[in-house]
Amino acid sequence: MFLDPRILIMFGANALLLYLSLLVNSALSSWSLYLVLLGPMLVLPAIFLRHRSYLLCILLTGLWVDAALPCQFGLLTLGFLTAGACIFQIRFRFRAEHNYHPIILSHSCNLFCIALISIATGFEYLSVSSFWIQILITTVLSHGLLTIVAPWFFDLQRLLFELCRLETEPEDFPIL
Amino acid sequence: MAKLRLDKLKPLVALGVFLIAWWIVPPVIKSFFKINFTEFQAPSWVVSSYLEDLQGFWARRSHSKIELIEAGRELARKKAYYQYIAQRNESLEAEVDRLESILHMPTRREFRYEVARVVRRDLSAWWQQIIIRKGRDYNIPEGAAVIFSSGVVGRVVEVNAFTSRIELVTSPNFRMAATFETDGRPVIYQGVVQSGFGRATGSVNDAPQDIIANSQAPLKLVSTSLGGTFPPGLTIGTVSWLEPGSTGIFQAGEVTLDERLLSLHEVSVLIPLNPLELNNDVP
Repeated sequence: MFLDPRILIMFGANALLLYLSLLVNSALSSWSLYLVLLGPMLVLPAIFLRHRSYLLCILLTGLWVDAALPCQFGLLTLGFLTAGACIFQIRFRFRAEHNYHPIILSHSCNLFCIALISIATGFEYLSVSSFWIQILITTVLSHGLLTIVAPWFFDLQRLLFELCRLETEPEDFPIL
Repeated sequence: MAKLRLDKLKPLVALGVFLIAWWIVPPVIKSFFKINFTEFQAPSWVVSSYLEDLQGFWARRSHSKIELIEAGRELARKKAYYQYIAQRNESLEAEVDRLESILHMPTRREFRYEVARVVRRDLSAWWQQIIIRKGRDYNIPEGAAVIFSSGVVGRVVEVNAFTSRIELVTSPNFRMAATFETDGRPVIYQGVVQSGFGRATGSVNDAPQDIIANSQAPLKLVSTSLGGTFPPGLTIGTVSWLEPGSTGIFQAGEVTLDERLLSLHEVSVLIPLNPLELNNDVP
C-alpha cells in the first residue's frame, strides 16, 4: 500500500492527546500550572511506520500542534521532524511490542520539546528566575504525568490497530 | 566492508528538505496552513465550551425550588439597585455631555460591548493567552480591548472565523499606557513572566518621582485613553511599592493584578463604534 492506514489512527490519537492535555491545562490555569505532553506523539510513528507514512504522520501532527499552541508556526513541526529523524535512525534497537522503550523515548522527546519551546519562545527571559521556576514546575509535572499517560496512550494506539484489524507490529523488527 | 544503508538517511534528508522548503516558502502559504489547521480545530473547542455550558445548566437544574426562589429574590434586589445606578449614570452622562459641549471638548471614543465565553486558557511560562468563542462572525477586530468585571483582561491578537485569541495583561508581550487613579500623569504598564502559584503580577514603569506607594494604601493603576485602545478609568491592578527605575529619573514597581484573571469564564470585547483612522486621528 502506498500509505499505511495506521497513519490515521496515530494522527487521530495525537490530536486526542493534544485536545485532552489542553483541556487539563485550561482547568489548571487558576493554579498557574501547565502540562506539556507532546513526547508520546512521535514515538510510535517513528518506530512503526515506513518512512513515507512516518513523514506524513509527523508533518500532520506537527502542523496540528503548531496551530493549537500559541508558539511560532512551524516550530514544533521542525522539532518533531528532528526528534523523529533521530528515533528513526536507531529504531532497530527498540522493542516496540512492549512499552518500556517507547516510554523512555517519549520522556526524551518531551524534554526536547520543552527545551525547544523555552529557547524559541522565552529566549529573552532566560535570565529571569521566575521563568526557570515555571519551567521546572512544568517539566516535573509533565514528566510525572507522562509516566501514567504514555503507557495508556501507546496501549490505546495498539488497541485501535487491533480493532481496525491493522498490523500491530512495526514494519521493521528490532535486532535481537 | 558493510554496505551503507542509504534508506536510513531518509529522515535526515526529509528534515533537510523541510527546512529548506520552510525557509523559502512565502509567508502566505505558511499563513494559509496555519489558518486552515486552526479553523479545523476550532469546532472542537466551541463544542466543548457548549458542553460545559450544558453541564452548568444541568448542575443548576439540580437546585431545589427554594434555592431558586432565594436566588431570584436576591437577583431582584440587585436588579433594583442597578436600575437606580443606571438612572443616575444616565443623568451624569447627560451632565458630562453638556459640560463637554460648553467647553468644546473633542468627542470621546464609544464602544460596543461584545460578551464572550472563554473556551480555553493557555497560561504558562511561555505564553499567557485565552481563546474566546466569538470571532469574525461577531465582527471582533484585531487589537480590540478586552475587559471583565474587575478591569482590563488584555487585547485581541488573532481573530478566526468563530474564535479569537487574546493576549492577557499578564503576558510580557502586553504593554499599555496607564495612569494612577489619583494622578493624571501617564505611566507604562507591562506584563512580566509569571512566578506561578496562582498569583498574577505585572510591572509599572516611568512613574514620576513624587508618587509614593505603600502596602497600607496601595495605588490603583487604571487605563488611560492615550493608547486609543482602552477607555479611561478601567482598573489594571494595584501598586504597593515603587522604587527608582534603571534610569534613575522615574520609578518602577510591581502591579498586583486580580487573581480571577487566571480563571476567566466570560469577558467583554470592546469594539470601537468609530474606529481610529491612523492617518487623520491622533489618540
